[in-house]
Amino acid sequence: MGKMIKTTNINKLFLHVVQACLLLMLPSFVACSHIDENDRLIEVKTDDQQPAPVPDDPSTPTPTSTVKNVLLEDFTGQRCNNCPTGTEVIEQLQEAYPDRLVAVGIHGGPLGFKGSATVKGLATEVGDEYYNHWNLEYQPVGLINRGEATNYVNWVGEVMKEMKQTSVVKMEVEAILNADKIDITVKEEGYDSYNGMLQVWLLEDGIVAMQTMPDGTNNREYVHNHVLRTPVNGTWGESFLINKDEKKNQHLTQAVDADWDASKLSIVAFVYSGTGVEQVVKAVVK
Amino acid sequence: MPSFAFALLPWSVTAQEQKGVTLSGSVQSDILIPKEDTRTGAEKKEDFQTNTYVDLNLQSTHIDAGLRVEYLEHPLPGFENDFKGWGVPHFYVKGKAKNVELTLGTFYEQFGSGFILRSYEERSLGIDNSLLGAHFVAHPFAGVQLKALYGKQRRYWDWGESLIAGADAELSIDEWFTSMQEHNTRLRLGASWVNKDEPDEDIFPDPKHRWNLPRYVNAWDVRANLNTGPWGILVEYAQKTQDPSFDNSFSYDNGHVAMLSGSYSQKGLSVLLQAKRSENMSFRSRRSMSGTSTYINHLPAFTLDHTYALAALYPYATQLAAGEWAYQAELGYNFKRKSAIGGRYGMNVKVNFSYVRSIDSKWLKWGDDTYYQDLNVQLTRRLGKGFKLNLMYMNQRYNKQIIEGHGDMIRSNIFVADALMQLAPKTKLRAELQYLTTKQDQGDWAFGLLELSLAPHWMLTASDMWNCGETKTHYYQGLVTFNVGSHRIQAGYGRTRAGYNCSGGVCRYVPATKGFTLAYNYNF
Repeated sequence: MGKMIKTTNINKLFLHVVQACLLLMLPSFVACSHIDENDRLIEVKTDDQQPAPVPDDPSTPTPTSTVKNVLLEDFTGQRCNNCPTGTEVIEQLQEAYPDRLVAVGIHGGPLGFKGSATVKGLATEVGDEYYNHWNLEYQPVGLINRGEATNYVNWVGEVMKEMKQTSVVKMEVEAILNADKIDITVKEEGYDSYNGMLQVWLLEDGIVAMQTMPDGTNNREYVHNHVLRTPVNGTWGESFLINKDEKKNQHLTQAVDADWDASKLSIVAFVYSGTGVEQVVKAVVK
Repeated sequence: MPSFAFALLPWSVTAQEQKGVTLSGSVQSDILIPKEDTRTGAEKKEDFQTNTYVDLNLQSTHIDAGLRVEYLEHPLPGFENDFKGWGVPHFYVKGKAKNVELTLGTFYEQFGSGFILRSYEERSLGIDNSLLGAHFVAHPFAGVQLKALYGKQRRYWDWGESLIAGADAELSIDEWFTSMQEHNTRLRLGASWVNKDEPDEDIFPDPKHRWNLPRYVNAWDVRANLNTGPWGILVEYAQKTQDPSFDNSFSYDNGHVAMLSGSYSQKGLSVLLQAKRSENMSFRSRRSMSGTSTYINHLPAFTLDHTYALAALYPYATQLAAGEWAYQAELGYNFKRKSAIGGRYGMNVKVNFSYVRSIDSKWLKWGDDTYYQDLNVQLTRRLGKGFKLNLMYMNQRYNKQIIEGHGDMIRSNIFVADALMQLAPKTKLRAELQYLTTKQDQGDWAFGLLELSLAPHWMLTASDMWNCGETKTHYYQGLVTFNVGSHRIQAGYGRTRAGYNCSGGVCRYVPATKGFTLAYNYNF
């Protein structure tokens, strides 16, 4: 049947080391987790979902910050079969944070579709430029207030974290359709000084266009919402500087393209810097 | 650039043997000086890109030690973002005694076919999922091998938070029974177990709930391998406990895989038949990870890794999470010399059929989709003293939607002729002609190659892959290779297409490139 090993000094030393290693591993040998069907979801305490306390209460004499909204840039594509699942996550977040979450669908990248003679495409050159600039690797992938690239399964957690942050810039935006152009007014108020960029985008909701679905089929009646149509003030926006207690406003105009449904347009305005998005607001074009 | 390349030449490193200590190692440096190419979309993000590896190993009677330096600070195109970096990610000390072996540091290991554990390095894919910790092997009795390991997995330039523990026992029963040895029969039984201990994290399916994630995932594997005379059979089964992850859409179902493989090999004839069913077997050290990193296991591919360019145009990637039914049948036959069919020099015929299909929740039932099919026939025949011909026909079905996430089923027929001519005692010329015809994707492709070998040092290669279907693009390449001793230097210029590079069913997307290439290899 074989023979036992000779316990030379070296072997003895090894055996001691091995015994020590096995002892260290012992917890793993008995470790086991089984989670029953009814225990797979843990309800999140309501406190966890509350936004950060609003410091700009009128009774507070000198507020230094205000509520921060969250920009979720969804890098998506019509040929991306997981993208509708990402969109479902966005819909859940919009329901939970109707006033504070601003989602933007940026079509482009390898799974974006620029259109053919018969099929409408939503991908744009600027969408590709953003995808490449952020060095993204897959779709759907999100940037939450321009933090790290985030897989859609982590969007809810990351958005919830960001909802607890505060901002030093308060913003408002208004957009009015005037014949074939949109007059846009962006207002900012500095709770502290901030130096960054102001970016204004035009989005369209309710676009019916082809989308590859998770089961691999192409749905030609898919409704695409919050689709980035064009930047209003350049691909990367314009310089923005505000001091504490300063109020500013900008007026911009955007021509309406014949392909867009003017009744379903909205404007997103945000200020950002190398550290991320400081504030974001959205308004429907009236 | 050249100064950098030559700086890598290890003039000072020579193999040496002193007092029973042996130094061995290797250098591999692949360099691209990229150019922009609007026609193919090739980009120039940097002036100079290289993947460079230097391996050093010291061996002695009782102690081995080694390390690997990797310089990937400006990596070649198509690797994941976190691949970039440089350092010494591989280092180990191994103590060896008569029947035991202990490694401390980083190590590689595979249990059985790799169903529940395979840590390995595959540079072409950017994979190195080595473990950092302790690895122990013992042969306490004849015919018994025991392994145990414990460690953290490498993910590029980090060590994962999960702790991986594993144990494996393999019994060679035939070593206990002389009658089995007399009858040329070998029977090996194996069993393995792997445990992943991964810290909890906040992953929310919706804003009101978070997943209750299992801290421990256990996986086990049993196998039996019987060889008797020309016959061989391998049966293997593995199972994994609840492991909700991004890959399986946070399913709490168990994962499992079963494989049956039979072979027959007699003089001149070889037959291989195998079937495998896998379900929910994506096993990673990080549950929220996507991409090619952090896999703890690997399922063997039942599809061939083709070397001919057009046969490798649409390679299959194993569907770990979704699961698959995979079948493979391979037949090889040598027609004897001076026979009616074999002719003067004999002829070799190889037929391979691979078929991969979706699964159904009922165990034995097939799902609706074909993922991949490859039927290929290869004939190799020497037609004269200095002329050898290899012909191949391949019929392929490639479900682009499943494999790449978009697109349709691509049905193609591929024809290959590969001729090797001995022009002079030290001069050989090899020529390849290939044609792929399909109505889908980018349509037809043609490929031609000429390779002149001037022994013992030089080889000149020129090739062109032409999309004669949709894009009419030429992907040309010229290479000069110089070999001296165990040094090999290859310089070239060319354009490569965007596509998938696969090995063993694992694939990496490689973008189009254009530019000068330089490759240096040295083993000592």
